[in-house]
Amino acid sequence: MIPLSWYLIVSAALFCIGLFGVFARRNAVAILMAIELMLNAVNINLLAFWRYRTPTEPIGLAWSIFVLALAAAEAAVGLALVISIYRERDTVIAEELDTLKY
Amino acid sequence: MNPQSLLPSVPEFLAILPEISLVILIVAVLAYDRILKPAERRRVGLLAAWGSIVILLITVGLWVLFREPEPNRSLVESLMWGGMIRNDLITLIFRVMFLVAVAIVSLISLDVPALQRGEYFALLLSATIGFSLMAAGSDMIMLFLAIETASISLYILTGFLTDDRRSTEAGIKYFVYGAFASAIMLYGLSLVYGITAQTNIYVIASLVAQSGAIPPEINGLFLLATVMIVAGFGFKISAVPFHFWTPDAYEGAPAPVTAFVSTASKAAGFAVTIRVFAAGALGAPNFDSEWWAMLVAITIVTMTLGNILAIFQSNIKRMLAYSSIAQAGYTLIGLVALTPDGSGAAMFYLLMYVFTNVAAFGVVVLVSRETGSDDMQDFYGLSRRAPYLALAMLFALLSLGGIPPTAGFIGKFFIFKAAVDAGLWWLALIGVLNAFIGLYYYLSVVKYMYLYRSDDEEERIPVSRAASVALALSVLGIIYLGIAAGPAFEWTRQAGAAFFPFSG
Amino acid sequence: MIQQIIFIVISFLTLLMGWIVVTNRNLFHAALALMGSFLGVAGLYVLLDAGFLAAAQLLVYIGAISILIIFAIMMTRRLMQTSETPFNNQWVLGGITSLVVFAVIAYVVLQVFPWQPGAQPFGAAPEVPGAVLEASVTQLGAALVSVDQYVLPFEVASVLLLAALIGAIVVAWPEKKE
Repeated sequence: MIPLSWYLIVSAALFCIGLFGVFARRNAVAILMAIELMLNAVNINLLAFWRYRTPTEPIGLAWSIFVLALAAAEAAVGLALVISIYRERDTVIAEELDTLKY
Repeated sequence: MNPQSLLPSVPEFLAILPEISLVILIVAVLAYDRILKPAERRRVGLLAAWGSIVILLITVGLWVLFREPEPNRSLVESLMWGGMIRNDLITLIFRVMFLVAVAIVSLISLDVPALQRGEYFALLLSATIGFSLMAAGSDMIMLFLAIETASISLYILTGFLTDDRRSTEAGIKYFVYGAFASAIMLYGLSLVYGITAQTNIYVIASLVAQSGAIPPEINGLFLLATVMIVAGFGFKISAVPFHFWTPDAYEGAPAPVTAFVSTASKAAGFAVTIRVFAAGALGAPNFDSEWWAMLVAITIVTMTLGNILAIFQSNIKRMLAYSSIAQAGYTLIGLVALTPDGSGAAMFYLLMYVFTNVAAFGVVVLVSRETGSDDMQDFYGLSRRAPYLALAMLFALLSLGGIPPTAGFIGKFFIFKAAVDAGLWWLALIGVLNAFIGLYYYLSVVKYMYLYRSDDEEERIPVSRAASVALALSVLGIIYLGIAAGPAFEWTRQAGAAFFPFSG
Repeated sequence: MIQQIIFIVISFLTLLMGWIVVTNRNLFHAALALMGSFLGVAGLYVLLDAGFLAAAQLLVYIGAISILIIFAIMMTRRLMQTSETPFNNQWVLGGITSLVVFAVIAYVVLQVFPWQPGAQPFGAAPEVPGAVLEASVTQLGAALVSVDQYVLPFEVASVLLLAALIGAIVVAWPEKKE
């Protein structure tokens, strides 16, 4: 007997924790972790809606599998970019990446 | 399970034939790269360029010879692969844009030594697959996967020059903002799925249109989902206030990639935005919807801010970045007119923008390779160093500014006319005023090229054959669409009607 | 009742771990907390009768993504041990924004879906015969390969992963010294 809204509230909270992480953290790897939290929140939403709205059709299940694939791809690409920039200038602090400012 | 559901029908197969060919081309490019000797590296780019031209011919040939996509199909018939994509004229026209863009961009990149790698061209092509399916996609699952396929390829392309400070920095910034925006968009899409229990945008649109299907107490949740989705789409088309990544990414990315991001990626973003909003998946497409007011506000701010900030730039790529933000604003006018003509005009505008901006960035690639920077000062006296380059740039700038006889003039004319016809004369007026601001900075570059002198006027700028072919093609496109816009416009207008399957 | 208690405990741990991820000074600890948060989310999937997704969550998020992040942290180690503040100077603004967003989402969600267990609609998961739920994995597998369902997104996902694979190798590969 768990209402749908409980799942949605937990997902919203996780999403907003991720949002805060993206806004507030200085380190690019930490920002990436916060984005992964946001994608997890999306998946909680999708599966909760699947169970409560369309339990007989696998829409939410299939969708969340694709989000999982996306999260893996994003992590790989993001960390590759982090490593490339670290090799080049020994920092991954977002504020110190300021070559492109006038 | 039924074994027949594992086999596609012939129209379904033809509907994704261009994408299948692109996948084959990716494999061919990667394999060809392995067997090439270091001295022949530019051939991998030639293969990519020729391959995309062949795929362009296949796409157009299907239309000319077999009437595929058939324009008279009903909505249900044109939805294919379980409703994942809709094969209609819109899809066809956007595919043509993307394939033209990827062919020309391959041609201008193949003489840049750092980009002569199979992986670079493979990623250009995988981004094209993403764009193509963004234009075709009619299901939220399909749309989000297509958007991500395109974005992931573009993040890498932006950061491709690993020994260049600006390219790596642009890559990581584009990635962080892009992943953030797509997470927000996904959250919004998941809410729409939760509200409607559907994922196909046309099914959702018909649900939304039924009175009572969406009870009024759900409006708040629906509006929240819309705002989140607009954030994601706005990022792709670099509309203010989701534009902050644009100047950095455009400046830092290798110039051919910037040409690609600013044309093909923007056009794909518009394809998705217009399709979703015009179908009415997020509320009926009329002037009373909350999303309409939101988009109008975004349109006005995007045009104005883009133009004003562009005036103050001293780096040519940054100037073109802000100019592309402003151009996105003009294109949005076509969407918010909410008529088939308006959407058709937006498509025509994007088509001409592909030729125009690729020409502009093609010149920037050649000049900056010679001078090693992208400062505006590099263009001083360009007409003496490279008369033909200066001429190509002149046509591109005139087209961006909207001066006849170039395509930009016709494009702006159709957009503003559609707005006036829809009763939005005030929006058209703001657009015209903005076009005048735009003229100021476009014409300053013309002034630098033709009237200013520079110290190294004796140094000619070498132009390879591939680059001159690419520039000639784009300039021909600009002039052709400028003086004989009729057939192309008729085509886009016919396609514009397909955006509104539920009215008329 | 038992289910509700389990839900509350798991959710609390998930959010607590998530909070540690975004606030902890030490990135390595943050990555470990990230694993914990992923584990909690997998627990929520089990409560939602999505056992297969819970297993996939364990394998992909904890087994692959977290390990990848830890690798990246160790490869850029020198910087990770600095003890300066983890936040930039806009963190107050970011915190307020996030709180407002949370309040808005919670408000509109509670307008539509009731808070009390058992209230209608969606006060409890709809009753579905156990056999249907057990068949959902079979259904999912069939849906991913049928032409009239998700075979096209499935293939596009493979292009997405191919692009990510090529891209990650190109960007992370060390420059050749010439």
